[in-house]
Amino acid sequence: MRRIKNNHRLKFVILVFGLGLVIFAVGGLVSPVGASSVPVPVQNPVLAQNISPDNTACLTCHSQPGLTKTLPSGEILSLTIDSSHFSESAHKDIACTDCHTDIGSFPHPDLKAQTIRDFSMQMYPICQKCHQDQFNKTLDSVHMKAVEAGNTNAAICTDCHNPHSQPVITDSSGALLPAARLSIPEICARCHSAIYNAYIQSVHGAALTQQGNTDVPTCIDCHGVHNIADPTTTAFRLQSPLLCAKCHTNPAIMDKYGISTQVLNTYVADFHGTTVTLFEKQSPDQPTNKPVCFDCHGVHDIKRVDDPVYGLQMKQNLLLVCQRCHPSANLNFPDAWMSHYIPSPTHDSIVYFVNLFYKFFIPAVIGSMGIYVISDIVRRLINRRKGVNHA
Amino acid sequence: MSTKMVVKKQTGSKNRPMRIYKRFHWTQRIEHAVLLITFSMLAITGLPQKFSTSGWAQALIGFLGGIETTRLIHHIFAIVIMLLAVYHIFDVGYQIFVRRTPLNMLPGIQDIKDAWQAFIYNLGFSKKRPQMGRFTFEEKAEYWALIWGIVIMGITGFMMWNPITTARLLPGEIIPASKAAHGGEALLAVMAIVVWHMYGVHLKRFNKAMFTGKQTEDEMLHEHPLELADIKAGITDRSLDPKTLRRRKTVYYPIAGVLAGAMLFGIYGFIGGEKTAITTVLPISNPIPIYVPQTPTPIPTSETSTILAGSLSWDASIGAIFQSRCSLCHGAKLATNGLSFATYADAMHGANDGPVIIPGDAANSKLMVIQSAGGHPGQLNAGELTAIENWINAGALEK
Repeated sequence: MRRIKNNHRLKFVILVFGLGLVIFAVGGLVSPVGASSVPVPVQNPVLAQNISPDNTACLTCHSQPGLTKTLPSGEILSLTIDSSHFSESAHKDIACTDCHTDIGSFPHPDLKAQTIRDFSMQMYPICQKCHQDQFNKTLDSVHMKAVEAGNTNAAICTDCHNPHSQPVITDSSGALLPAARLSIPEICARCHSAIYNAYIQSVHGAALTQQGNTDVPTCIDCHGVHNIADPTTTAFRLQSPLLCAKCHTNPAIMDKYGISTQVLNTYVADFHGTTVTLFEKQSPDQPTNKPVCFDCHGVHDIKRVDDPVYGLQMKQNLLLVCQRCHPSANLNFPDAWMSHYIPSPTHDSIVYFVNLFYKFFIPAVIGSMGIYVISDIVRRLINRRKGVNHA
Repeated sequence: MSTKMVVKKQTGSKNRPMRIYKRFHWTQRIEHAVLLITFSMLAITGLPQKFSTSGWAQALIGFLGGIETTRLIHHIFAIVIMLLAVYHIFDVGYQIFVRRTPLNMLPGIQDIKDAWQAFIYNLGFSKKRPQMGRFTFEEKAEYWALIWGIVIMGITGFMMWNPITTARLLPGEIIPASKAAHGGEALLAVMAIVVWHMYGVHLKRFNKAMFTGKQTEDEMLHEHPLELADIKAGITDRSLDPKTLRRRKTVYYPIAGVLAGAMLFGIYGFIGGEKTAITTVLPISNPIPIYVPQTPTPIPTSETSTILAGSLSWDASIGAIFQSRCSLCHGAKLATNGLSFATYADAMHGANDGPVIIPGDAANSKLMVIQSAGGHPGQLNAGELTAIENWINAGALEK
């Protein structure tokens, strides 16, 4: 029995050893084939510490400055990756070949792109491999519609998110980090620099860029992130008051700055706001010329109402705004709009007292009528029971 | 407006022939019908505007075809009621100045007494109801409430319809105040109709006089006993001789015509007097061009190689180019395809498949062939390539 047992043990050892040999041999056979097409990684002390070994091979060459390729269009495509940025990026643990799937071997296959933009256009769909949700959202965006219409200037994933340097911008819950919020307008400014220049002078943009205040809206708070809608549509225009109201009816934000949260109520109660609200609900694609928030307050160049130069608190400034739609308005006319105030004895007192009058007048009149009517009903019932003629 | 007695042999409630009295002229009945429709339409299109944030109001506005259509309908019936008011003034003027009918719709102290008497009778403090004439205090209250309402609605409606004109004459705040009053008055009017009118002529007893124009003697006795007495006494008969009537008409019609014309002109001014606002959708103020890309960051290029024309040798300049640009893949540690540029000797030795540099013949040197075609990883720039080409043609010297 002992011999047999030993025999089994011996057989097992031989089997394991043999298997190991086979694996080793196969590995040996396979690896030289790989070695002939892929350059053997050269240990780069700077790179090796932060970046997974997979990418070291690529970055051996591609971290060299000045690595370029001249495309058929004559444009020079930079092939250099800043490895220090990459090693801090959200993609630091992603292998180069995860995205550059066709560049697994060396020499690399020829680029099919004619221009640098071509190359980006060919590459960006790969983002959906990991970012399906965001990618799908972009399909409905104004940018993608422009791309589909043939405008290759329209933004694609990589225009906002450089895949080789994109830092992590959200916390573990998916909320945008404050630092990331601060940088958003600069990203949009790459293509929308004129709007950016107006924005940074606005009450919102100045607070963000000069004070680092993240209470204020950045581009994406109004326009969305990946499913950025066309802001020139009627639907966008009609919805815009609710967009502003998202923050401007929130006391948690507004109380800090002493701004009224009644701005939506008072707008909706007015002729203009009533119209816009009903259009938005009932015919969102039908245009109305009644103003929305941005018609009076500005679009990207929104100023404080007490701005010494442009503030709408100054009646002359407000009149100019009124006159854009009401060309023959005079200086009395802006008072027809109650400036988001709820009528009170001190502000819009005539309106307040008219409301107060009807508050008592209606119950007084209708109440008197009601009392008489009830007395009449009761008397008629009594008379009928008694058989007396009601005369 | 005098009541004419019409005797008709109808079977009354107590099996006796019942006299029928004419109460309203057919023009008055039409006037009432038009008012009924107009008032209802104004209420149906107006109240949802006042309560536009509530669900029922929005459903009604949607049913009417949207807020703009609702406003349009409201405006159309506002015009109708204004025209009706002009007609009514004209008609009342005719009754007063031509027919010289007693002003029996005017309210007086007697009406207050009647109302009080009716009320204490209902409460059981009095045994007799007030005896009333052609128009009861209930009817007068309703008529004058309507007049009050139309005046208020007309004035406040004008201000809202013509805010620019209004602001020229009055402070701008009067316009939202008008809106408040218009809404308050509307609510009052509708509630008064429901409580007072509905009870008074529909619930209490369905009074069809406004539709048939007639009342029975029973009804007259019950509601207008003093008028009935007057009719029976023959003092309501105000038949005029045709001559007098004609003479009064020739005076009244021109004057009333001019006044009516003036009033119609006023209504025209009301409707089309001012161009309040532009009719197009306002363009964005201060439009900013959308696509204004920033100047792209230039692509970082390699350090410019310093190639001195007089020093075309490996040691002097060419070796350094190979060192910086090629040695990563073709160097001492990694000699791809056997090609290394680590030393002059390595460079001249060439790759596994033969030399890449033919001294004196750059055109046929494989190095130049590959690099000139472009697209090689670690592509040399034009300056570097020219320098190497010159170097090879000059014999590819080491020193």
